[in-house]
Amino acid sequence: MHARRFLIVIAFLSILPVLQASEKPVDLTREESDFFEARIRPVLVRYCYECHSSESKKIKGSLRLDHREGLLAGGETGPAVVPGDVQQSLLINALRYDDGLEMPPSGKLSDEVIGNFEKWIKMGAPDPRTTSSSTTTASLKSKTVDIEAGRKHWAYQPVKKYAVPAVSDTSWPIEPTDHFILASLEKAKIRPVAEADRHTWLRRVSLDLNGLPPTPEQIQAFISDKSPEAWARVVDRLLASPAYGERWARHWLDMTGYADQIGTSNNVFAEHAWRYRDYLIDAFNVDKPFDRFITEQIAGDLLPWDTAKQRSDNLVATGFLVLGDIEIVNPDKLQLEADLADLQLTKTGMVFLGQTLGCVRCHDHKFDPIGLEDYYGLAGIFRSTRSVEKIDNGIWSGITVAKLPESPEARQKRMNAASEHARLLDSLKESKDKLTRQKTDMEKAAGKMDADKDALKKKEDELGRKMRGVDRRTRHAQYFKPAEPRAFAVSDMPSAADTQITVRGNAHALGAKVPRGMVRVISWSDSADIPDGQSGRLELARWLADEQNPLTARVTVNRIWQKLFGEGLVRSVDYFGTRGEKPSHPELLDHLAMQFMQGGWSQKRLIRSLVLSRTYRLGNTADAKASAIDPENRLLWRMNRQRLDAEAIRDSMLAVSGELRVIRGGPGMPLEFPENSSSLEPKAVNPPAYSLVKFRPEQEFQRTVYLPVIRSAQPEPSNLRDLFDFTQPAQISGRRSQTIVPTQALFLLNNNLPRKSSIALAKQLLNQSGQNDKRLAELWLRVYNRPITASEMDEAIEFLQQIKVSGQMAGKSGDNPADSAISQSGDSSEILALIELCHALLGTNEFIFRQ
Amino acid sequence: MSDDTAFYTRRQWLQATACGFGSVALNGIAQAAGGHNSGKPHFKPKATRVIFLFMQGGPSQIDLFDPKDYINQRHGKPISSPLNKNLLQVGTEKFLALGTSVPVRPRGESGTKISDLMPNLASIADDICLLRGMNADNPQHAPAELQFHTGSMNDVRPSMGSWISYGLGTENQNLPSFITVHPQADVRYYGSAFLPASHQGTKLTVDSKAPIDNLSRVSPSELIQRQRLDMVQRLNRRHLQSSQNEAGMQGMIEAMELAYRMQTTTPDLVDLSRESKATLELYGIGDPATDRNGRACLLARRMSEAGVRFVQVTMGGWDHHGNVRGNLPGSCLGSDRPAAALVKDLKARGLLDETLVLWSGEFGRTPWSQDLSGTSPIDVHGREHQPQSFCAWMAGGGIKPGLTYGETDDMGFHVTSGKIHIHDLHATILHQLGLDHTRLTWRHLGRDYRLTDVYGNVINEILA
Repeated sequence: MHARRFLIVIAFLSILPVLQASEKPVDLTREESDFFEARIRPVLVRYCYECHSSESKKIKGSLRLDHREGLLAGGETGPAVVPGDVQQSLLINALRYDDGLEMPPSGKLSDEVIGNFEKWIKMGAPDPRTTSSSTTTASLKSKTVDIEAGRKHWAYQPVKKYAVPAVSDTSWPIEPTDHFILASLEKAKIRPVAEADRHTWLRRVSLDLNGLPPTPEQIQAFISDKSPEAWARVVDRLLASPAYGERWARHWLDMTGYADQIGTSNNVFAEHAWRYRDYLIDAFNVDKPFDRFITEQIAGDLLPWDTAKQRSDNLVATGFLVLGDIEIVNPDKLQLEADLADLQLTKTGMVFLGQTLGCVRCHDHKFDPIGLEDYYGLAGIFRSTRSVEKIDNGIWSGITVAKLPESPEARQKRMNAASEHARLLDSLKESKDKLTRQKTDMEKAAGKMDADKDALKKKEDELGRKMRGVDRRTRHAQYFKPAEPRAFAVSDMPSAADTQITVRGNAHALGAKVPRGMVRVISWSDSADIPDGQSGRLELARWLADEQNPLTARVTVNRIWQKLFGEGLVRSVDYFGTRGEKPSHPELLDHLAMQFMQGGWSQKRLIRSLVLSRTYRLGNTADAKASAIDPENRLLWRMNRQRLDAEAIRDSMLAVSGELRVIRGGPGMPLEFPENSSSLEPKAVNPPAYSLVKFRPEQEFQRTVYLPVIRSAQPEPSNLRDLFDFTQPAQISGRRSQTIVPTQALFLLNNNLPRKSSIALAKQLLNQSGQNDKRLAELWLRVYNRPITASEMDEAIEFLQQIKVSGQMAGKSGDNPADSAISQSGDSSEILALIELCHALLGTNEFIFRQ
Repeated sequence: MSDDTAFYTRRQWLQATACGFGSVALNGIAQAAGGHNSGKPHFKPKATRVIFLFMQGGPSQIDLFDPKDYINQRHGKPISSPLNKNLLQVGTEKFLALGTSVPVRPRGESGTKISDLMPNLASIADDICLLRGMNADNPQHAPAELQFHTGSMNDVRPSMGSWISYGLGTENQNLPSFITVHPQADVRYYGSAFLPASHQGTKLTVDSKAPIDNLSRVSPSELIQRQRLDMVQRLNRRHLQSSQNEAGMQGMIEAMELAYRMQTTTPDLVDLSRESKATLELYGIGDPATDRNGRACLLARRMSEAGVRFVQVTMGGWDHHGNVRGNLPGSCLGSDRPAAALVKDLKARGLLDETLVLWSGEFGRTPWSQDLSGTSPIDVHGREHQPQSFCAWMAGGGIKPGLTYGETDDMGFHVTSGKIHIHDLHATILHQLGLDHTRLTWRHLGRDYRLTDVYGNVINEILA
């Protein structure tokens, strides 16, 4: 029936010859037999068979120890016993509890027993036991991945070109997207709800594209623009705003594990991380073609360049590979390299391909057609990449740093700074000398008979404090001297080569060598040849960014879709494997992916067409009939409501209160303050670390994307990130949760941010207009971005009156420092009432959600 | 089965809030979405609650519970290294044995060995089960602590308390099901990761004025705050009508009310003024050395009594890289009395049977010395981290009292019998709560995740 069906089964070739060779029975000498029966078999039976024999409920690690073949073939990754070679025999490593592989797990066996095993292996591991059944063969065969069958999964199929479907209501669609959406709705007999009003659409698109609500002027401009181009004009303005890059770079940062900290231990600061963040913001703003964007991040260091700026970008972009939760304190450096390669390939797989490659480190993927060969093919590429190096602090490593090209102007600036810096060091030295002289004088005075001991003690303490301060400032100045620009970046290792399988991820327990290459099931031809002496990252980048890659464009457009519509067409945005969700609109997904690639991989163009669609204009209103057919709104008969993310909540509060300051780029970590760092001495046991006790005053009012990101917990003034579902910077995720918990409500009720914003907002309203109704109209426009209704006006006026009375009853207003502003103004109860109203609005759902 | 990204219906939301803490996730919460647990135990539980006393930093087990003649006899002399040659070391290159300076003696009828530094624990030796074969995978604080709390050394996974909250639901609708007192900075230690946010730990301090962040009102009077909240709710309700009862909108309205109530209920909960003098004394409250930890432990008992599933109390100060002999007494002084008092108090109230108490650090310390200066005399040396073997103890919750379980080799490095890996510990704790660790799962990125990943065995030998 299936005469022409070929299965390409790729087995581990290293295993097969062993099997064939060991099929014939083995003759043992009397001495060998006695030794095995007395010293070896009982131990194996007692300690190993439970998990590694036909008696096992589940054979652990695919390793059988109840026959000779099993020992020789080994488990998932290599022979357990190499006859005659104790060093190469993993079994001995495991028994010795070396290299992290510890068997039996219940406790280490005695040295005598381990000695017997070593002796036995030196004898050639004589073993009379043969394969008792065919189960070994079967279990070994299951270690293969059926690539051809695997390709049938929709996501591994090539992206197809689909015609825009016909619809009955031809007046509805604006963009091609609308045809796909409406066709599905019509098929399901659902009518989409009406469009949202203009105010709602403007608020929606402003928050989605820029992460900020529209200003009253922007609202006015759009509402009064009666031309059919009004929507496009808004979208073009938003896409051209630098705020667009600030918004969308943050989405990308969620997928990188970005923090201004290296690893998690000891608060080690990542001095240059911000350059990668700024690179991203710039890349989004200039709409860097996405294929180029991929290539720079995976292999920027290997790309040719024309200008210094380009070279700089190329190097900084590779920060993608080294920003993340890297365990630089790991005292086992080989393990650190293996773990880092795992992090890099897991990240690359999830971000660009929507695959969970990390699962394949120890065994073939349980669900997807991805095998150890795929994992270690990629691991070889990353193991051939230099990302970390041992540093001069104790057992620590650091991320590799590259010098960036410097423009002549920057160089001149640095030279100027350097002479200023030299003067600073001189003056610090002077201060130190002066203090030292004072100390000497004081010690002399203390020697005198009539010395006032108490006064001297006080002076001594004072001097000591000053000297410590000068020392700290000196160390700080020495460490942070003006230097050439640098960035965290990777490079190829001169020893670039294929890598070996690691048993259960243990870098010292090695299995077969695997040639470097790409993930087979996603590949359309044999893997590209990797030139000698190169890591293969450039080939990897090209393979990811190839228009034949079935996943890259689909995964990317789907994430963009999700940011705009609330759910992805494939809801499991980071996982397109066989257990992921199926696309709600497969043809639309392919259409968008195709458009994206053919349109020069332009994200702005894609976003523009999506937000100008009818689908994006829909209201959020309920519809019982549509709900009954499609309760989850998978077909998009209405717009999904979204809670603002942490950044948008904070930035919006600052924006509507007029406090937001435009300060773009630069280091987020205020390391220029000496009190914010420690352990700066050369060769200290622990590397330089931060202790964030002081911020730049302006950071309180800067966009959240520029504030330092800490891996353990978010510092002031951005600690609301931890309350409102910020992606943990140790995690790679294309999607944020949107939770509601009481601690968020407490934040909205009592935190300083909404309070201070309310105070600033109330003061401005008071200054702007003397009339209550004008103030209220302005308040509604700023916070909700729509006109106030008549009933809201009545309610608000009544509320103000109520608070005035309560305020007078409460007497002197403000037992919170944030409220000290109130008492400075004339009628304290009047401004208090307005503050309370502003604060109420900032705590409402209409403000923290977008419709 | 759908992934944890499913959209939320009102019905699902109601289900979810019924087993969480007045909370709702707009996506990824419904039991029907990624979860397979009904909020009920899989089988009859021995314990219904857990109190975890976390000794952050790595207490020195050789000084406290597992002394070694081999080491004591060679104090100050070089010994041979059992360490993997691949590991870099700082300050331990000389490999000098560091003996125990304070006696560790058999206590009670059971003969459980406990140091003189812990006289209070010694007095309840017959109530605890001493685990001497503890084993973890990482020698560094951050990953080891993460493994202890979540089972994973990197990545972002739900913490033990979150899994238990998810597995059993809450017993008290007005309290979180997972509270962590004085946690360390890393939010992952009490985070719910991909589990619904209602299962995340709520952090608490014993400072009665601000036990929870943002709890103190900013409006000048109670009345004004209430009036403002009423205004918020009026606006929210009108908005809700227009969106026709969407779950998220409704959720925030209720969260607001709960937050408001917490402003009075939480200070009540942490107000210890109504506890008897004898109780306060038992915990060492009022004594500067034990006040903070004593309050934390007493709070743990109160919250546990009120139905909080998982309470964690973190007590730091065990990271003795230098002068372990000089510094260990202080760490013991601050924690011994409060910890022992908790067990005594639970027992006196008849709560110990159903409350599982766990005392542990993230790892132990080496039997050989560490001297970062390279020049100090042996008696002021410290000890390096040791995940290979360390000690913990459990009490109550159906664990065998008076048992010492696990042995280490002559040096006190490898476990020779009775090994309990972190995954085994997690499996055993879940088991006592009536949860099968292989069945308590959540689907995420196509895979069913567990607290114990693909590992873990219930240690039946320590069960009563």
